[in-house]
Amino acid sequence: MTSELIQYLENIKYRSRLNRPDDTGVMSELKAHIEDKLQELTSSGLTEAEATKVCLGQMGTTQLVARRIYEAYSQGSWPQVLLAAMPHLLFGLLFILNWWHYPGWLSIVLILTLATTVYGWWHGKPSWVFSWLGYTLLPVLILGLLMLYLPRVWSMLTLFIYLPLAMWWLFRLIIQTTRRDWLFSSLMLLPLPIIIGWYLAVSPEGKFNGTSLQRLDYFAPWIGLSFIALALTIAAFLRIRQRSLRVGLLAVSGLLTLTLVAYYTVGRLNTFTFLGLVLVMWGVLLVPAVLERFLGYDRLTGLKRRGAIGDSGGEVDRRET
Amino acid sequence: MEPRHDLLKSSSDSLLLSLLERQPLYGYKIVKELEEKSQGYFKLKEGTLYPALHRLEKSGLITGKWQMLPNGRQRRYYFITEKGLAKLTTEKTQWQDFLQAVRLILEPYPSGR
Repeated sequence: MTSELIQYLENIKYRSRLNRPDDTGVMSELKAHIEDKLQELTSSGLTEAEATKVCLGQMGTTQLVARRIYEAYSQGSWPQVLLAAMPHLLFGLLFILNWWHYPGWLSIVLILTLATTVYGWWHGKPSWVFSWLGYTLLPVLILGLLMLYLPRVWSMLTLFIYLPLAMWWLFRLIIQTTRRDWLFSSLMLLPLPIIIGWYLAVSPEGKFNGTSLQRLDYFAPWIGLSFIALALTIAAFLRIRQRSLRVGLLAVSGLLTLTLVAYYTVGRLNTFTFLGLVLVMWGVLLVPAVLERFLGYDRLTGLKRRGAIGDSGGEVDRRET
Repeated sequence: MEPRHDLLKSSSDSLLLSLLERQPLYGYKIVKELEEKSQGYFKLKEGTLYPALHRLEKSGLITGKWQMLPNGRQRRYYFITEKGLAKLTTEKTQWQDFLQAVRLILEPYPSGR
């Protein structure tokens, strides 16, 4: 098989964002098809170069084939939808039923979140795991914030050791998730602006104290409602096949949930803070997409180094966002 | 004449199920059969056949099995399932009713009227 055809298959594999068990079968079938096609064309008297050109023309562009593969495989089943929406539902219920007061319930939810994330992460990173993954970051962040309140030596340790380590771990996690699909990174980080929004609403001074707890108690039903909105977003996200619709859904739903936070906190979030949160929301959506472009270049450069793609291959075939 | 894309898209499932009703086939053979039986009318972008087959497989209408050839190469043959046969029967009836209705409108009146 010529380097052009290998590049063609690699680009389809890269653009279609398949999970590993699916990708082996799909790519083997496409490869077998191309081999049959080349055999037929060369037996009819065409040179290898001519046969490759005809074959590429008749197979369809990498964008078209990859998009169709994505649409065939991207839709989650109903059990997967339920599993993906579960962490948002659990956190929503914690606030709606006022269970967040009880350390027992909080611990159960956190342990369940951690265990499910670890299980999913080590079992092929299915699409439902990324919504759980977002909540696993929460205890790390909270622990960091709490450590800042400890005596001076501890807060220095937190500032110079714990926080850089936590950020490094978070960055690695985002890179690994983005390698699978940048939309999953956005999905994972989607609750972040909402949580920051609620934190700023209950602690406008930036410090969490007794008054913050009272405010948290007051806003609890609305906090729960915003998590339920996120659960519905995830459910719709997994059922939609088209990628562009998925991007639109995350953008619209994120902004609507932020507006809901601003509406129910009646004046606690000023315009400046709200716009800041909207910026964070856009960052959550756009930064993983930009990161994927860099990782894509890195990956294709790696393929060239291994000799799978000729330098004459011309333009670097980028993923569609 | 080139088939209209939307017509081909809406009928692709019925066409694939119909071909597999006669015999199990692998992807490359399906493309060839589709082209031959339609006398060159249906020429799809070959790479897009596999997503369509996998979608049918996910819906339980067909099932695929890898088979090893004597030359060591592997091919994935697709078989129609009971559910696929039932779906095909329904779709065939719908198509025939639709074609008959279209013919009644488009075809000229019989001479003498």
